[in-house]
Amino acid sequence: MPLDMMSDIPDEALLERFARGDAAAARALTMRLTPQVMAHAYRLLGNHAEAEDVSQEAMLRLWKIAPEWRRGEARITTWLYRVVANLCVDRLRRIQGESLESVPEPQDERKGPAETLQGAERAQALQVALGHLPARQRQAIVLRDLEGLANPEVAEIMETSVEAVESLLARGRRGLVADLAGRREELGFGDA
Amino acid sequence: MRETDKHNADRVLETYFEAARKDCRAPSSELMARILADAADVQAGFPVARASGVRVGGFVRQLVQGLGGWPAVAGLAAAVVTGLWIGMSQSSALIAYATTYDEPDEALYLVDLSADALFELDEGAL
Repeated sequence: MPLDMMSDIPDEALLERFARGDAAAARALTMRLTPQVMAHAYRLLGNHAEAEDVSQEAMLRLWKIAPEWRRGEARITTWLYRVVANLCVDRLRRIQGESLESVPEPQDERKGPAETLQGAERAQALQVALGHLPARQRQAIVLRDLEGLANPEVAEIMETSVEAVESLLARGRRGLVADLAGRREELGFGDA
Repeated sequence: MRETDKHNADRVLETYFEAARKDCRAPSSELMARILADAADVQAGFPVARASGVRVGGFVRQLVQGLGGWPAVAGLAAAVVTGLWIGMSQSSALIAYATTYDEPDEALYLVDLSADALFELDEGAL
């Protein structure tokens, strides 16, 4: 079946097709899920190369679990967010030893006039500030404020209560505001 | 923090979030190729799919397990086939047997008694 005809098929149904040997289902799932997985991994790690490795490993785990996947038990994206978060925590532990409270500074790969870079620089500054947050606060902020998930779904992914998510979000946002306060003027927020 | 300060902070923070959402980089073609290669490798190790498309491990396996395994299912299938055959073929032997009991004639009451039975009849023992 052509890829564009698979756009209406739910993730779970595609995974079942993959488990039955349908190669086109693998392509459709890869195209659909990898961007989300990659974005999430980068926001948690702040490093593109590491995020790519995590994305590949997370997708590999999805392929392997396909024959045992039980439809209706969990959404595939929820499961993937959880796997990515666990892989990122493991990777950060390996990179930084015992400390989980900081991540590598994001690579500054862009150069150019300040005006055109302001959005990118803000994104970069936010990534650095996210890296200074405790891991759980960072994960909650990324899922809620960057991935755009609702609080109950964030709670399900993080295996905690909605109230705990709200608390993590409030503390995380306060931490970000405090961290970014010193950079507001240079990032074009002098009047805010 | 005063309410207006908090409002300003939320507004500024949202601008950062918006910038980060737009800054999302697409996965590289090399990464996509690696993921697809993994998928092909893993898929090659799966049991061959049935021609009917029914996956072993789904409903059929659960049904078979519920009935006691493949030997029990085979016995059940044989019993079903036999029952169907009896019902469909209307065997002549069965019809004759049933007719005999439905409309008994005198032959049914003829009893071949043993030689000693005559004495016992005389003595009123039978």
